[in-house]
Amino acid sequence: MITALLSDGYIWSIIRVSLYVSLTAIALSAVLSLPIALIVGVTEFRGKRLLNAIITTGMGFPSVVVGLLVLFAVSNQGPLGPLNLVFTPEAMILSQIVLAAPVITGISLSAIDSVDGGIRDAAYAMGGTRLDVAVVTIKEAKYGIATGILAGFGRAISEVGSVLIVGGNIVSDGSSYTRTLTTAIQLEARQGQFETALVLGAVLLVLVLSVNAIVIRLGSGGGRSR
Amino acid sequence: MALRVENVARRFGETTVFEAVSVTIERGEILALIGPSGAGKSTLLRTLGLFERPEAGTVRVDQTDIWAATERERLTKRRSVGMVFQEPNLFGTTVRRNVEYGLRVRRSWRTRFRDLVPVIGNRTPPQPVVNALSLVGMEDAIETPVESLSGGEAQRVAFARAMAYDPTYLLFDEPTSDLDPRNTAVIEDAVITATRGEIGAVVATHDMHQAQRIADRVALLLDGEVVEIGPTEQLFSSPQDPRTQKFIDGELVY
Ligand SMILES: Nc1ncnc2c1ncn2[C@@H]1O[C@H](COP(=O)(O)OP(=O)(O)OP(=O)(O)O)[C@@H](O)[C@H]1O
Ligand SMILES: [Mg+2]
Repeated sequence: MITALLSDGYIWSIIRVSLYVSLTAIALSAVLSLPIALIVGVTEFRGKRLLNAIITTGMGFPSVVVGLLVLFAVSNQGPLGPLNLVFTPEAMILSQIVLAAPVITGISLSAIDSVDGGIRDAAYAMGGTRLDVAVVTIKEAKYGIATGILAGFGRAISEVGSVLIVGGNIVSDGSSYTRTLTTAIQLEARQGQFETALVLGAVLLVLVLSVNAIVIRLGSGGGRSR
Repeated sequence: MALRVENVARRFGETTVFEAVSVTIERGEILALIGPSGAGKSTLLRTLGLFERPEAGTVRVDQTDIWAATERERLTKRRSVGMVFQEPNLFGTTVRRNVEYGLRVRRSWRTRFRDLVPVIGNRTPPQPVVNALSLVGMEDAIETPVESLSGGEAQRVAFARAMAYDPTYLLFDEPTSDLDPRNTAVIEDAVITATRGEIGAVVATHDMHQAQRIADRVALLLDGEVVEIGPTEQLFSSPQDPRTQKFIDGELVY
């Protein structure tokens, strides 16, 4: 039965959409978050604590609210209206970026912040340029940064609210267009298709658990200092 | 050829660490910088090491006015000055990658990327790395991860790391204050060996005996002022300033 379901094109299309949306969102979030984390992490300025507080708040932002805001942004009246993104995978990517970026920024920021200033001084003293010093800082914080990225992925792939709102949970010709693991589970369960829902649930669980396992391993490996 | 500050001022907000300090370090000499805690020794070393731009005054490396020079010139000159800190501050990798670092940042990005690729990259340790480690007796630890070094060994690697790229001037901020006598002796000997060539060194220290052991000249910094500077022998045996005498006698407690 389960093998039959797993050879089902419908299920695979859902997995594909989920991974496409969340992996793209995470890649873009990382590109966005790391420079911010680096700059905020290594400089001292007024309002740094406030900014930290904002990022931390963003980490727990309710996903339905994000979905609502993104839906408005991409709707006809919104600033991104001309792009016609309503009920597309790209809209889901957008909302997952909003959800994941604070997580990645927050966790990598605290990792970068805890890199000893002496490490940066040493790199500079040996003739490193600003870029060299930044690279050293990232390398020293690499476990924390990886943890942030994986945690962001965990949040993105397991989130229901915003993808449902901006993606619309659409299937066409028996194949997922904007249906993800979470929105599919939600729908299948409601329609009494427990078999399918359970298989999808198991796939999601395996994904999230493997990511968590990597985070935990990194955590213990990253426990060493200098 | 010398490393020199002329009338430099350093301030942190309301705090003025010094108003107008002038010091010159010639190649081949060791200058000990002594003074009570908070006198501004580290701040002066960071100014000499071109970490921060002074609020006033001039910093010269071999005649070049560093903060008036172009970015490129400044980088070139900065790369002739090295610094070792009280803490080893090693990067979380192997001894070898730490000691290679100074050489690595001086290479082109193209070469640096090539060296990341195991097959085409150069894998044998560069001779300067081996030589620098030999100076402090750490050549056998070249592939060791830094986590498994003792504090003294880590500081010896930090010294080797500063020597590997052949600096002209070396600054030491209390390099041995966390070390046992044996490791202290290794570092002191290495500083003396290094300056036998062309290197000029400044060693900030709390240890007056250390100053007497290794320095050619000594400068006493008090409240952000160079109160006295002169040949080691003379400064300790017949100080010109009464405050120097007091400091040597341990009466100047802050
Ligand atoms: N980044 C900074 N911000 C604010 N004040 C600073 C900073 N760095 C140094 N100071 C102040 O400058 C003064 C001199 O400090 P410095 O570290 O240079 O002294 P020091 O002679 O090296 O002392 P020690 O022997 O304890 O290392 C101190 O009063 C210190 O509080
Ligand atoms: Mg100091």
